Amino acid sequence: MHQAPPPDLSVFLASSAHDMKNSLGMLSGLLEKFLAEQSETVFSGYKDLSSMLYETRRINNDLMQLLALYKLDQNLYPFDPHPVAVSGFLGELAAQNARLLAARRITLICDCPDTLVGHFDEDLLQGAINQALNNASQYTRGQIRLAAAMVDGMLEIRVEDDGEGYPPCMLGDEAAQLGVDFNRGSTGLGLHFARSVAALHKNKGRCGSLRLENGGLLGGGCFILQLP
Amino acid sequence: MADFISDFSRFKFLVVDDFAGMRTLLRDMLRECGARDIDEASNGKDASSLVSRRKYDMVLCDYNLGAGKNGQQILEEAKVNGWIGPLCAWVMITAEKTPDTVVGAMEYQPDGYLIKPVNSALLYSRLGKLLARKSAFAEIDARLKRRDYQGALALCDEKMTLDKGAYATDLLRWKTQLLLSIGEHAQARELFERILAERDVPWAQVGLAKAMQLSGEYAESRSLLEQVVAENPANVEAYDWLAQAQDKLGDLDGARKTLERAAQLSPNSPVRQKNLGDAALRQGDVAAAEAAFRKSMHVGEHSVLKTPDSYIGLAHILGDKKQLEEATRLLRKMPQAFNTDAAKIRAKAVEGLIARKNGNETRAAEAGAALAELVKNAQTGIDVAASMEAATLLLATGRQEDAVGLLAVVVQNNHDNAELMEQISDAFTDAGLASVGVQWMEQARRETVALMNQGVLLARDGKLDEAVAAMRHAVETMPNNVRVLLNCGHVMLLALQQQFDPALKREARQILLSANALSPGEKRFSQLISQLETLKPGA
Repeated sequence: MHQAPPPDLSVFLASSAHDMKNSLGMLSGLLEKFLAEQSETVFSGYKDLSSMLYETRRINNDLMQLLALYKLDQNLYPFDPHPVAVSGFLGELAAQNARLLAARRITLICDCPDTLVGHFDEDLLQGAINQALNNASQYTRGQIRLAAAMVDGMLEIRVEDDGEGYPPCMLGDEAAQLGVDFNRGSTGLGLHFARSVAALHKNKGRCGSLRLENGGLLGGGCFILQLP
Repeated sequence: MADFISDFSRFKFLVVDDFAGMRTLLRDMLRECGARDIDEASNGKDASSLVSRRKYDMVLCDYNLGAGKNGQQILEEAKVNGWIGPLCAWVMITAEKTPDTVVGAMEYQPDGYLIKPVNSALLYSRLGKLLARKSAFAEIDARLKRRDYQGALALCDEKMTLDKGAYATDLLRWKTQLLLSIGEHAQARELFERILAERDVPWAQVGLAKAMQLSGEYAESRSLLEQVVAENPANVEAYDWLAQAQDKLGDLDGARKTLERAAQLSPNSPVRQKNLGDAALRQGDVAAAEAAFRKSMHVGEHSVLKTPDSYIGLAHILGDKKQLEEATRLLRKMPQAFNTDAAKIRAKAVEGLIARKNGNETRAAEAGAALAELVKNAQTGIDVAASMEAATLLLATGRQEDAVGLLAVVVQNNHDNAELMEQISDAFTDAGLASVGVQWMEQARRETVALMNQGVLLARDGKLDEAVAAMRHAVETMPNNVRVLLNCGHVMLLALQQQFDPALKREARQILLSANALSPGEKRFSQLISQLETLKPGA
């Protein structure tokens, strides 16, 4: 019998990220349950609790993205696009974030035709859009719009807010390559993730993409994913 | 059809998680969603026992359950044993999406995955959709249970014209599976091609490649699958089919590399590891084969899909390496792991063959004697692999009569399988009985063919009563010969069309069903059974 070689550090990184995700899952489940049982008027720690939930979600999102990117890089991610009723999918995202957004007094408007069907990997898209919603909730004055429509044969999903919008350096094609954005306090992971996820979706020679704009129906930042 | 079921109160749920905190959390969330009937299990053993006793509408199962079975193994066991049907929704809960949780074979895939963290809003939305999807298939499933395949297909089409949403693809996917399962390969293929004309859908690409292999077009299948894995390097199912195509095309090296890649992505399949061992062995890489067989046994420990082939493969390797004690220990362990007559017979036969190969004739003879007893006392069927291994040892240890008894059954059931006939003749040659073997085989095959043809010829002459009697006799002699069973069903159908007889209809159905159990997915079976089921008294 020969001895097994010592495992590569990346294996531990991946497996402990996995473990941390389990713990965070429990943590955010319990926080949500607790929030649901309390009311803002009675429980003085309500606001702190909702911040705790927000931060937990953020860590979880980051971990999910890191893990997925690691696996994509290692050709280990089981990419699984399938047809999805988009309005249901957006409704799911809205429901997932409802408690959190309500606690921060943010209104989320969903805008999507009932009959719209998209073809994508639900888990990856969910990660990308959750991140965008989290971001928007930092910069909004009170409203976020989550919308989807077919544009030129591509499925377009938009996360718009009514905040001040992205700084000029983040807009345009070249800015898209920029990584770290200290102005918006982000590591660039979210955008890199969203961009990688979009690019993974291909069909009949067309490929998905991510675009950042200012304006939209609410006049603030717009995070726009296009999928073939 | 309804897109969503909002009332969870009429469904039976099972929650499986080893961690009490998570179980409680899931149960509370389900209650929040309106569920009333919720059972819980904390390990694979309890989960299997519950699933085997109650018909759950939905099982929420954590993938990682600590020691013992994992979630996927519980699902496989439930499917293999028929504890859950197509209407039970199985949702696997995982911390992350990885290919090692995805085993590959479509028939063992869960209906959905939930990635932690799960909250009640997400749970409600996902499960409501899934329950609606399952209910939508209930009508189709009812027709399938009556073996009304054409009716099920028609209903599928009808529903597709009504529904253009996300369900339409579910229906399409379902229809392709049904077509493949009843042997309508050409129709399935046409459907895959239609789907792919609109969109590059990975499952349809793999499906098309599979249909190509079923009609013998391995080169086309290979090139399609190479495209699929180039686009999606973690598609385990595509690798498995690609390896098969490469194997058939004689590209042993390619097949082995592909299997290695698949096993690296998804190491927990005992069958894939065993195939990898075979592939390595064919290339003479004994060390790699040994590792793969060991791995197959290891990952198969709690799996219903574990295979005796990896035990046998490893035992032969150990025998060749003169590690005789370990080989014996392994073979003595095998009957406990499988607990079938066939496994006992294989273990004893290979024990003797290894002893003989190592020059220990006494031990080989002892094994031969024990083996003859096992064969005589076998209660359940002895499969081809067991028959061949047993006959080889019996011939070599001078028990020609016992051997011939086993081989006669193999010939009767597989007289048109050239490869197997060659193996039989090798077994005779190995025992120094080459000319006896040739003579015996010639006669066995002649008798088989005569017995098979008798009923068919009588039916052709219109002597249906006599034909039925002859076919019945043939089935009694060759109960595992698919061709005989299907011919018998056919002749009985002809007789029934002339004069209806409910007892004969039942008999014919039973015979056709056993043909389908032996060789699932034959077009002739689905055609005959459909005709049989639509027969009515007086028709």
